[in-house]
Amino acid sequence: MTDEPLLAVRGLEKHYPITEGILNRRAGTVRAVDGIDFSVRRGETLGLVGESGCGKSTAAGSLVRLEDPTGGEVIFNGGGRAGETRNADGTHPNDVTRFDRRELKAFRRDVQLILQDPSSSFDPRMTVGESLAEPLRVHGMSDRDRRRAIGEDLLERVGLSADEYDRYPHEFSGGQKQRIALARSLVLNPELIIADEPVSALDMSIQAEILSLIRELQAAFDLSVLFISHDMSVVREVCDRVAVMYLGEIVEVGPVERLFDEPKHPYTEALLSSIPTPDPRKSVGGIALDGAVPSPSDPPSGCRFHTRCHRVIKPADVDVDRSNWRGLLNLRDGIESGDVDVERVRENLDTAAGGNGSVEDEAVKRRLRADFDVDEALRSAEAERTLGRALDRVVDGDPEAAAGILAEAFTTPCERTAPDRTEHADGHESACLLHTRGEAETGADVGSGLATEPTQIGRDRPTDRAGTAGRSDPENRGEGDGDGGEGRAGGADGGDRRGS
Amino acid sequence: MGTQRSDRFDEVEWDEISRSRWFEPSRNTLGVVLCTLPIAVLGFYDWQVLGERTATFAFVGTEWDLGGIDYLFGFTLVLFAFYLVAPLYQNPRMTRYYWRQFKRNRPAVVSLGWLGVVFVGGLFGPLVMSAPEQSVLTGYQPPVFLSIDAAYVDAQTCVGDVVSGRCQGTWQHPLGTTQGGKDVLASIIYGMTISMQIAFITTTIVAAIGVSVGTVSAYAGGWVDETLMRLVDVVLSFPTLLMFLLILYIYGAGLGMFILIFSLFAWGGTARYVRSKSLSVSEAEYVMAGRLSGANTTQVVRRHVVPNTASSIITQLTLLVPGFLLAEAQLAFLGLGDSEVPSWGQLISAGQSDLSFAPWIVLAPGFVLFLTILAFNFLGDALLDALNPEAEAETE
Repeated sequence: MTDEPLLAVRGLEKHYPITEGILNRRAGTVRAVDGIDFSVRRGETLGLVGESGCGKSTAAGSLVRLEDPTGGEVIFNGGGRAGETRNADGTHPNDVTRFDRRELKAFRRDVQLILQDPSSSFDPRMTVGESLAEPLRVHGMSDRDRRRAIGEDLLERVGLSADEYDRYPHEFSGGQKQRIALARSLVLNPELIIADEPVSALDMSIQAEILSLIRELQAAFDLSVLFISHDMSVVREVCDRVAVMYLGEIVEVGPVERLFDEPKHPYTEALLSSIPTPDPRKSVGGIALDGAVPSPSDPPSGCRFHTRCHRVIKPADVDVDRSNWRGLLNLRDGIESGDVDVERVRENLDTAAGGNGSVEDEAVKRRLRADFDVDEALRSAEAERTLGRALDRVVDGDPEAAAGILAEAFTTPCERTAPDRTEHADGHESACLLHTRGEAETGADVGSGLATEPTQIGRDRPTDRAGTAGRSDPENRGEGDGDGGEGRAGGADGGDRRGS
Repeated sequence: MGTQRSDRFDEVEWDEISRSRWFEPSRNTLGVVLCTLPIAVLGFYDWQVLGERTATFAFVGTEWDLGGIDYLFGFTLVLFAFYLVAPLYQNPRMTRYYWRQFKRNRPAVVSLGWLGVVFVGGLFGPLVMSAPEQSVLTGYQPPVFLSIDAAYVDAQTCVGDVVSGRCQGTWQHPLGTTQGGKDVLASIIYGMTISMQIAFITTTIVAAIGVSVGTVSAYAGGWVDETLMRLVDVVLSFPTLLMFLLILYIYGAGLGMFILIFSLFAWGGTARYVRSKSLSVSEAEYVMAGRLSGANTTQVVRRHVVPNTASSIITQLTLLVPGFLLAEAQLAFLGLGDSEVPSWGQLISAGQSDLSFAPWIVLAPGFVLFLTILAFNFLGDALLDALNPEAEAETE
C-alpha cells in the first residue's frame, strides 16, 4: 500500500451567489467554504471542527457532491483507484469533482455520509428495512430476499434485532434511528464514512453509545472516518487528527493530542477553553470571543479571525496593553459599521439617572469605554489623545470622522495580511500571523502561550467582561467567566511572558 | 448474481451486481402491465374487429357491450388495485397504523362503508341485475309502504293492491318507478356505475397530470417551473363549464367528453399542491440520503418524493370527486347531460315534473347522491388526519 491518503481535499471551494432583482444580478458571494485543504488517511479518523455556520457541513456536502463545489479538487484514492497519477493537463483521474455519472455512482458505494438528524433522515413511509436496503436496490441488487438478509444482518451488528426490519421510523427513538443510519451508511461497504455531527442531536448517554459503536465498526471494517463536529470533547474522544475550521477556512490541523495540548491558533485555543472540565478547582480559561461570527458573504480581510481574536497583533508603535488593544479595535469596528449608537447610550444613561435629560458627554464616553473594555486612561499618552479625539467626534454625532481617526491610528497587521500555513511539528500546521511574523512584530514569545493552563499576568487588569454581554457567541462561550482578565491573556502584549 | 451468494454486506461482489440490469419493475408495476394487456387487447378487438353494433361479448353469447368509458374504468380499477390496495396489503403494519388513526373518526368509517356499497353496487350491480326498462303500463308505481292516488295509477296499472282509492307500493319495485315505468332502485344501482366511473377516471386523470406537472415543476425549476405554474393559473381560471357547453352545442357531448373536459381543467390545484409539497419534501434529509445512496433524480422522485406527497393528494382528490358528481347531476338536471347513460342526475331530471305527486323519483336518487357526496367529504377529512405526517408526529 502506498502512503497516499484515501481522500485528499485541495483548495475546495463552495461559493453561493447572492442574486437580486428580476434579472438575477449577482450582488455578492457567500463564501461558505473558501479553499480548504486536508486529507484523510486510510483507517484514520479526521475531525473537522468549528462553530455552527463555519462551513463544515457545506464542505461535507460538496466533497461528496451533494452540491457541486465551485472550485478545488477532491481526490479519492479508494475504490480500486489507488496509485493513479496526474494527467498531463494537471487534472487528476481520481478527482471527485470531475467524476461522470457512472464514476459518481461507484463513488457513492465507497463514500457514505451519516446525516445529522436521525429523525428526518428516514423516509416516514418506508420501513427502516426498506430504507436500510435501498442503497442495495439502487446499485442493482434485485434479489429482495438477499437485500433483506443483508439488512437484518446489519441491524444486528448495530445492536438492534432483525425483526425490527419491518418497523417504521416513528417507532424508534433517536438513538436507535442513528444506529440504523449507521447501518445504512455501511450497507454498501464503503471505505470512507463522513459523519456530519452524528451525535449532536442526541443526548449525552446516547452520544457515548453511538460514538463507541462508530469506533467498533471502524475497527471491524477498517473504515476511514471524517468526523464533523462542533463539540471539542467529542472530537477528542474519537479522532486521530483534527482540522479546525473558521469561516470557510482551515486554521489549524494536527494530531489530536498535539492540538489539544499545544493549540497554536488562537481560535483553537478559544474552542478548547470552552470544554468544561470535571475538576472544579481547575479554573477554565474561558476565552469569550468578542463579537458575532462575521458573515461569510463579506469575510474580514487578512486573517478572518482578527475581528474576534484575543491575541490580535498590536503594532510595536502602539503602547497599550492587550485587552485595551482588543477593545480599541472593537470600538473602531463598531463605529465603522454603525453598531455604536450614541443616542441609545445617552438614552440608557438618562433612564438610569432618572430621566431628567441631562447626560454629560463625559458620561457617554465613559460608558463607551466600559462597553468596549477600554481603560479610563490608556498607558500611552499618544493613543489616549487619539482615542479622546475620536470619542469627541462620536458624541458630536460624526462617527465617520471618528472611524477615520481610529482607523488611521489603530490597525493590526492581521487585517492586512492573510496568514500562510506554518508547520510546527510533524503534521501540525496552523495559519496565524503570530507564527509567521509574531516575533518580529510583537517581541513576544507567542508560540507557547496556552489558555488551557491559565496563569495570572501581572500587568493585566482584571476587567469585568459582563459589560460586553451579548457580544460573544454562545456556542463558544466558556463555562467559567469568573476569572477576570484571564480570557484576554495571551502572548501578544509587549514583553509579557507567561509562566508555567 | 453468482453462486456464492453471501448475506453479509461486506462480502457483496458489487462489480458483478452493478453490471447486471438495473431496470427492475416492481411486482405491482408488473401486475398493472399484466392486467392492462387483456383490457387493451379486448378494447382493440372491440374497436377494430367488431362492428359498431356488435356487442363486445357477443362471442360468448351475451349482449353485454363495452364502451370507451368502460375500458378506461377498467384500467383505472387496475391502477387502484395495484397502487393503492396492494401496497396496503403488502405493508400490514402501516395499514394497521393508518386504520387505527382513521377509525377514530366514526362518521368517516360509516362513509367508507357507504362508499363501499356504492362501489360494489356500481361494479357488480349491472352484472346481476337487468337494466331498468321502459314499461309504460307500470309507470308511477309508489315505493313499498307508500301509496299514490288512483288518479295517477289506476287499478289496471297498479302492480300492488288498490286500497281505498290509493295504489300501494310493492316489493317488486321497492323504490317505485318513473313515469316510463323504469324501476328506480335499478336505475340508482346502474347510476352507481356511472358515479364510480366518474370518480375513478377523473381522479386518475387529475392525479396523473397534477403529480407530473407538480413534481416536474418543483424539480426542474427555472423557466420550466415558471411556464408550468402559469399554465396552472390558466387552467384554474378557465371557464370549464362554458367550454363544455360550447363543445356540447357544436359536437354534442356524452359522459366521456364530460369526464375528459372537467378533469383536464381540474388538475391545477393538485399540481400546485404537489409542487409545494415536493419542494418541501426535496429538502428533507431522507431525500438527501436517497441521493447519497446513488439514486438518480427519477428514482428519488419516484421512491421518496411522490409517495410522500401522495398522502396529501389523496385527501385533495377525495374532496375533488364530489364536485364532479354534483356537476354531472346539475348538467343532467338542466338537460345538458348525456341522456344515454342512466346517471342519478338523469333520474332526478326525469322526475322533476312529477315532484308534486311522485316525489320518490327525485328524492331517492337525490338522497343517494347527497349521501355519496357527504361520504366523500367525510372520508377526505378523515384521510387528511390519518395520513398527515405532521399530525403523526404530534401523536407520537
